Amino acid sequence: MRSILLVFCTLIACVTYGQKTISGKVTDAKDAQPLAGVSIKAKGANTTAITNTDGSYTIRVADGVKFLVFSYVGYQDKEEAITGNTLDVSLSVAEQSLNDVVVVGYGTRIARDVTGSVAKVGAKEITNTPATSFESAMQGRAAGVQVSQQNGKVGQAINIRIRGASSVSAGNEPLYVVDGIPITGGNNGDNSSNGASTNALADLNMNDIESIQILKDASSAAIYGSQGSNGVVLITTKKGRAGTSKIDFGYYTGLQYASGKREFLNGKQWVDYFERAGKGAADLEYAYGYYNTKEEAEADWKDYVESRFDRYSAGTDAWKEGKTVTDWQDEAFQRAPISQYDLNISGGTDKTKYYMSGQYLDQTGILIANGYKRYSARINVDQQINNWLSGGMNLSFARSNNKRVSNDDQFSTPLQMVALSPVTPVIDPRTGLTSGALDPASGSPNTNYPVYYNPLLSVENGFYHTLVNRTVGNVYLNASLAKGLVFRSEFGMDQLNQVEEEYQGRLTARNTGVPDGYGANFNTEILAFNTNNFFNYKKTFGSNDIDAVLGMAFQSREYQFADAKAEEYPSDAYKKLSGGASKTGAYSYATSNTLLSYFARVNYKLKDKYLLALSGRIDGSSRFGADNKYGFFPAVSAGWILTEEKFLSGVKWLNFLKLRASYGLTGNDNIPDFASRGLYTSAAYGGQAGQVPQQLSNPNLKWETTAGTDIGLQGEVFNNILSFDIAYYKRDTRDLLLNVDVPSTTGYTSKFENVGKLYNKGIEVTLTSTNINTKNLRWTTTLNFAYNKNKITYLAGQLLGDDVNKAKEGEPLGVFYTREYAGVDPQTGDALYYKNTIVDGKLDRSTTNDYNEAQDVVVGDPNPHYIYGFENAVTFKGFELDVLLQGVAGNKIYNGGGQYMSAEGSNGFDNQTTDQLGYWDKPGDKTMVPEPRLFYPNGTDPSSRYLSDGSYLRVKEVSLAYTVPKAVFGKLKVDRLRLYVRAQNLFTITKYKGWDPEVNADYQASNINLGQDFYSAPQFKTFVIGVNLGL
Amino acid sequence: MKKNLLLNIYLLALVIIYAGCTKQLDTKPTSSIDSRDALKTSDDVLGALKGTYADLGSYSFYGGDIFVESELLADDGDINWSGTYQDLTQIYDKNIPVTNGFVASNWEQAYRIINEANVILDSINIVVEANRDEAAAEAKFIRGCVYFDLVRLFAKAWNDGSPSSNLGVPLILKSTDPTKDLTASAKVSRNTVAEVYTQVIQDLSDAEQDIADYNGFYANKAAAAGMLARVYLQKGDYANAASAANRSITYALDNGFHLESSYSNAFPFVDPPAAVKNSSEDLFTMQVTPTSGINDFQTYYSAYGRGDIQINDQHLELYNPSDDRLNMFYESGGSIYTGKFDNIYGNVHIMRLAEQYLIRAEANFRMHTAVGARPVNDINLIRERVGLDDYTSADLTLDEILAERKLELAFEGFALGDLKRTETNLTGLPWNSPKLILPIPKREIQVNSNLVQNEGY
Repeated sequence: MRSILLVFCTLIACVTYGQKTISGKVTDAKDAQPLAGVSIKAKGANTTAITNTDGSYTIRVADGVKFLVFSYVGYQDKEEAITGNTLDVSLSVAEQSLNDVVVVGYGTRIARDVTGSVAKVGAKEITNTPATSFESAMQGRAAGVQVSQQNGKVGQAINIRIRGASSVSAGNEPLYVVDGIPITGGNNGDNSSNGASTNALADLNMNDIESIQILKDASSAAIYGSQGSNGVVLITTKKGRAGTSKIDFGYYTGLQYASGKREFLNGKQWVDYFERAGKGAADLEYAYGYYNTKEEAEADWKDYVESRFDRYSAGTDAWKEGKTVTDWQDEAFQRAPISQYDLNISGGTDKTKYYMSGQYLDQTGILIANGYKRYSARINVDQQINNWLSGGMNLSFARSNNKRVSNDDQFSTPLQMVALSPVTPVIDPRTGLTSGALDPASGSPNTNYPVYYNPLLSVENGFYHTLVNRTVGNVYLNASLAKGLVFRSEFGMDQLNQVEEEYQGRLTARNTGVPDGYGANFNTEILAFNTNNFFNYKKTFGSNDIDAVLGMAFQSREYQFADAKAEEYPSDAYKKLSGGASKTGAYSYATSNTLLSYFARVNYKLKDKYLLALSGRIDGSSRFGADNKYGFFPAVSAGWILTEEKFLSGVKWLNFLKLRASYGLTGNDNIPDFASRGLYTSAAYGGQAGQVPQQLSNPNLKWETTAGTDIGLQGEVFNNILSFDIAYYKRDTRDLLLNVDVPSTTGYTSKFENVGKLYNKGIEVTLTSTNINTKNLRWTTTLNFAYNKNKITYLAGQLLGDDVNKAKEGEPLGVFYTREYAGVDPQTGDALYYKNTIVDGKLDRSTTNDYNEAQDVVVGDPNPHYIYGFENAVTFKGFELDVLLQGVAGNKIYNGGGQYMSAEGSNGFDNQTTDQLGYWDKPGDKTMVPEPRLFYPNGTDPSSRYLSDGSYLRVKEVSLAYTVPKAVFGKLKVDRLRLYVRAQNLFTITKYKGWDPEVNADYQASNINLGQDFYSAPQFKTFVIGVNLGL
Repeated sequence: MKKNLLLNIYLLALVIIYAGCTKQLDTKPTSSIDSRDALKTSDDVLGALKGTYADLGSYSFYGGDIFVESELLADDGDINWSGTYQDLTQIYDKNIPVTNGFVASNWEQAYRIINEANVILDSINIVVEANRDEAAAEAKFIRGCVYFDLVRLFAKAWNDGSPSSNLGVPLILKSTDPTKDLTASAKVSRNTVAEVYTQVIQDLSDAEQDIADYNGFYANKAAAAGMLARVYLQKGDYANAASAANRSITYALDNGFHLESSYSNAFPFVDPPAAVKNSSEDLFTMQVTPTSGINDFQTYYSAYGRGDIQINDQHLELYNPSDDRLNMFYESGGSIYTGKFDNIYGNVHIMRLAEQYLIRAEANFRMHTAVGARPVNDINLIRERVGLDDYTSADLTLDEILAERKLELAFEGFALGDLKRTETNLTGLPWNSPKLILPIPKREIQVNSNLVQNEGY
């Protein structure tokens, strides 16, 4: 330590000896406007300066200093020789990304020297995306990063798969790291108690994000060890810039609409259809011998069906007019405005930099009663404490209120309204109240009118509010210990407090089963604590560059949950638990986990063309069995910049070419905190306490490991007009952490074991071209394309999954494995299935109307084979036009609601999709839609009948902006005025007949359950106008 | 020097943190507890017994589903199912795929309860002597009950061919050690129907011997003997059935149980819904309170629940117009519902004293005996309560006894068992049709190749 001090003192001595002063002005090369906040560094010395608002600067440097280096975010660095006492410089916008700083785990690299596969999405792409959470802004913008929102309910889960899913039972979401600190989100981001996932990442203000880097390959992610298997998303928030003082105000407002609708029967079609379904049932019962004559059967059923028509027409025969009294689908949606207000202040001096922001988002959902409001604030401060020590703090606070609607599986979720009859009025004329509110005869809550519980009753008489207070912050100290040696210590905390409050009034009794009001409170607190402490050493000697990192990290996460429930409220005016006379629930739960890590990495560069990186991380996790607590995750990567070689120096059209390859191990520990233990849990009986066995133990439980290989070629050609990045990868996951089915005769149904293997392999291509680049007009095109193949190679013969989605050996994760639908028997109108049994070693492709006689087969894959994004950006003078297309291809969607909405009346009087009108009516009819038979299933068991192509191409974003020239403002102190209009999800090209092809039913979404549609709300189609004003 | 000092302090602090962190990797579960710590004291094991009752009362078993399924599967037009659970629709349609989720839950839950009962029996020596025999008796009672319903639902009836060769269900009489590897030992085979019945009778007989005469809402002697009577009746062993039913009635009357004065008192309905005590004729119930237990009869039968099961005229026409039991039915929105299960927090009736009178009557009648009482007296006891005229001994027939049984126990979960033992055909389906037997869940066969699927699946 003494020697370090000595070195340091010598350094200071050097600086104070013999100085000169240089001053000048820095301007933008394009428009000669002054640039404020440009950092100026004396080359080879420790002196820095910053330009003022008018672009001027003054710096005192030692006599020996020969060059000044000018750098400014978004501009190319410039090194200028000192020639006298003045030095004016103009900087150009960085046209190419090679010199971009890329944030990697525990450090940064410049893009040129990166040997892994890292995608970047910048502030420009993210800012002001009219959506609740920043992931929406990533969709279609990074190759191999699949972003999909489960449905169009605000603040709900968005799933991200980076290079495919690597796990069957453990988490598949990436790790999210904000300013160096892992935060709650992704695999542990759902804290909902209503059966549909929420998204803890929605607490971040996307306008605070400077950049998002996505570590895709194993070598990049391996520095995050056991949390890296699904990729790592590194989020860097904005910093103040020295020498400036800016105030920016932003506002947008607009409207959102459902991206699509499904077509249902109108009044006349509905009446005709169910008359026919009654006849179908009558004919069947006559054949069964329940009736003596067919006429008797049909008359009986007609009576019954029409009595129900009367019931659903609010006790009248108005249905005879064949009118559509209510289009229930329209009732499920509402006018949905969205507005956002931003204010931020940033600036600083060469010692202190600050960024402060505040935001208010008010988003109404497209579904009736759905809405989201969020206030957030941030302060980021960096301080140079003295010449060897700096420190800072990033702190954000958010409070959100999500007015939620029930999960997709509930009668009370708005979109299940489509099941109600088109002859049923919204207002029951007998009572003047919402249909279903009261039984006209008894005055009690209604149990059989309308055909189902009317979700409007929940809208009018109940609520479910989720209030979140979130604080994410970290402090850091950076100490320069010696030349090139820096020690950095970070402490971060992420606190999430959530209160979910629910009240369901008297009129919701048909849905809740509770007659006199039901209330509940769910409280969640998550406290995540993290510290990183590491040394970074950089040294250049001769043509060798070394950049090394050595450190440790510790994370702990405590989760606490408590709920309380009450019933028997004096009236619906009382909504707090204190009003409920009968307390029906009190529950608390806590869990915790810890992770202790040591990591090291060395980057070596030789002659600016040979790159090598080695890294290793040791992780110890509390989640694993006593025998396997620790795991080691090494990685190696190498790069070769071919354009630095002599043999390519003559190739003028080739500006840059780098070949890279990497291999690394990453782990996955996203299993329940106590998965390795045998557990007992409490059970109550008749007010007395008991306990029951809960879980089988597995002390050998260990890490799920993914070995990833990545080979890439990156280059720029034709004077940097076209740049490309092509990558091939293979990710082999072994020792899958599986919740393995065990025979339930053991008293248990599953056990966590390390069984199974799967792989993902694929190709990613990113092309960027600058098609036109003149003074006034610039047009760039970016295409990203990714192909991924996912295959489970070993599961010990198991077939996992509770629904038609399965995890099955030899197939991709979540494959649709069910009966193969064969259409309709032209003679009988019966639904048919291909038997697909193996008889004497041959596949029997004959058909049967007996569902049990047919075998399950693979009928489709819910995973897209290709995902892509295509972006065009044109700037012309002050105008900017940006168009982003995004799509997926090769995947299938299963309509789980088909058994009710396309179901031959087998489930009763559910309104049907219009495609059911092509039903079998008489012998000889050739159709795929079976004969309607009221209450008699005919083709409604799970089968490929309800499977559709899920490919789509979407106009994800169109935005047009105009920046008002500065001259217009004259002496007004306006720095910048930008006006824009923007549309999200403008239109979608797809063969899918449902609401929207980007779907996964929220109540059942899991690693295995993919591509399921169950009355799931469509996505938002959003139009906004906005303004940004800089002072 | 300042820098030197600061750094030294800092590095020292870090060393302390490192040391602390290593210990932090040993986190302990707090909401659940480690299985090795679960059964250390007598109270722990007795707690596990209460837990076993709790699981017995889960929705997929004695909470109601197996009884609702029994009624739906055996129905021949008395009720109308209009619910949206496809799994139950399939059962009502007597067309059950091997993937039926309710059936899978019945099986899984049954063996979960059996394992829990086995845990008690395997740890019985931890229980203090004063409670030991009682705890073992209750565990055996529960195990016997579960095996009886399992074998009735998932295997051929006793009277359908040869019970000594027909496949029953696997008999598991040892608990699973949660710390041991399962793979080989877990692949059990099905025992025969006869073997399962033998075990059931053994368990229930042991229980009857050691269980308490009166035991609050836990199982008692009357319930154990009563369950034995139910088993013997199902087997057609009428002598033993009459004897066991007679013992059950005797135990019951000696311990303060008696028929309620009116039929509706046996099915108490309180408004607003609240937990209620057992009625005086409840020999065994599953306890339901707003915070624990579930009454799934209410879910499906009551207009206050989902109201999925409506009562058809065909059933109502079976009653004499002056039968007080008719007053249990009510109309809601144009459909008729039974009011037996309207209290969402009402206990699930597993055995009412009335059933024992009916068993004793039927068994005595078939045997031409009068163990405990003459059949006509038992039947008239049931009839008088609901305002019906007495039968005379001379004109009492078996059909009348069976008809009385059907109305008295309507919708309480007896339909399938009675249909099979009386060999009553359904319209279009013989009583022994494979379609009236639940399939072994597909999932079980996938994980245990030794399980043989039932005929017809």
